[in-house]
Amino acid sequence: MTASNKCLPFSLLRPLVWAAAIAIHSASAQVPDAAASREDMVALGKRFNSAEELYQYLQQQAGSNTGLTWQTLPDWRGVYSMDLRQTGLAYDTSQAPGQLPPAKLIPEQQAILEERVRLAQQGIEFDPLGRCEPPGAPRGVSEPFLREYAVTPEQTWLMNEVAAETRRIYTDGRQHLAPDDRFPTFDGDSIGFWHEGRLVIHTNQLRAGMYQRSQPNYSDDIELVEIMQKADERTLIAHVWAFDPQYLLEPWYTRKTYLKLTDPEKQLRIHYWYCFDNQNNDVQEQEDGSTQFKDFDFD
Amino acid sequence: MNRQFLLAAFLLLSAPVFGHHSTAMFDATKTITVTGTVKEFQYSNPHSWLIVEVRADDGSVVTWGFEAEGPTTLMRSGIRKSTLPAGTRLTITGHPMTDGRPAAAWVTAVLENGTELNPRNGFVPR
Repeated sequence: MTASNKCLPFSLLRPLVWAAAIAIHSASAQVPDAAASREDMVALGKRFNSAEELYQYLQQQAGSNTGLTWQTLPDWRGVYSMDLRQTGLAYDTSQAPGQLPPAKLIPEQQAILEERVRLAQQGIEFDPLGRCEPPGAPRGVSEPFLREYAVTPEQTWLMNEVAAETRRIYTDGRQHLAPDDRFPTFDGDSIGFWHEGRLVIHTNQLRAGMYQRSQPNYSDDIELVEIMQKADERTLIAHVWAFDPQYLLEPWYTRKTYLKLTDPEKQLRIHYWYCFDNQNNDVQEQEDGSTQFKDFDFD
Repeated sequence: MNRQFLLAAFLLLSAPVFGHHSTAMFDATKTITVTGTVKEFQYSNPHSWLIVEVRADDGSVVTWGFEAEGPTTLMRSGIRKSTLPAGTRLTITGHPMTDGRPAAAWVTAVLENGTELNPRNGFVPR
């Protein structure tokens, strides 16, 4: 056989080329996994005008492969905690030392953020959690205490030790409440679907809050898209996009890492979190916006 | 040094203690160290308090409170409720209150046998 005989005619190659192209497209258009880069996820968010559009896009990418059965449950058992080695309590894990949070805020909110940080530097700061409010969403993704997950085909519960909070993600095919029936809450209303071990979540109906202490505010127009997936036996990754047409000039993306804790003696467990169980934990906001303990009882 | 940098540097300073409230009532730039006897270990959410009686040279006793994180973080640090029964002698260091009251954010404590107890070790992944 001559060298020329080894080459297939293009007419025969064309189907192979198409198949390869489709395979490449499919690979690049899938629902992002835990390994997806920050840069790609930031760019993905910017392609959409709203969280709903991004969520619908992800649904399209998943196609009909969105089911979860009792036989295909991912193993999210155990007790987890946020990896504080990234950037401490900062909401955005890309926040570099010496930098403010990288959110693209409208000027008014940027000014509020800078003033908040300036005052905190002077000891003038009050955290709404001091009133025993739950962190809610999206703030809850940046709390440093324990987390547990309960996964079923129809619902997944994201449980946070702080204020004994539970976010329910409905994956049974239901839709959000009708627009006229919606009302803002700390954790909003979350629907989602599973795709190849990834939990994709859309959350609306949230109430205004702040991303974390010394971080920006969000409005009650904020909506979230999250993708959560185990990267390995110990590591759970969450991609989180916040769309807030009132306060953000573009979607704000963060990537959170939660680590499964080793607990061979099974001593770790989430207990109820009520701020006033101990009188010494009672703090009050002062007139100047600072925080002070009420009355100590050390007797 | 510009204003942006000063603001941002502050953002990444570690808080004296993690929990549900601002920690601005503690002076994170100062520490106090006292030696005394555990009166009570209030093991509670969202913060625990170690109550320590400190005897002064003139014989008077001042009761101090040292705030730490809640039980699960303490357990991750190896500090159980039974670790510090009433009567335990220790030397404890904390960031004091800015208003002068005898309370502080617990940084570390050393027992008479040399064991060191740091509540924030609980945040180290293991």
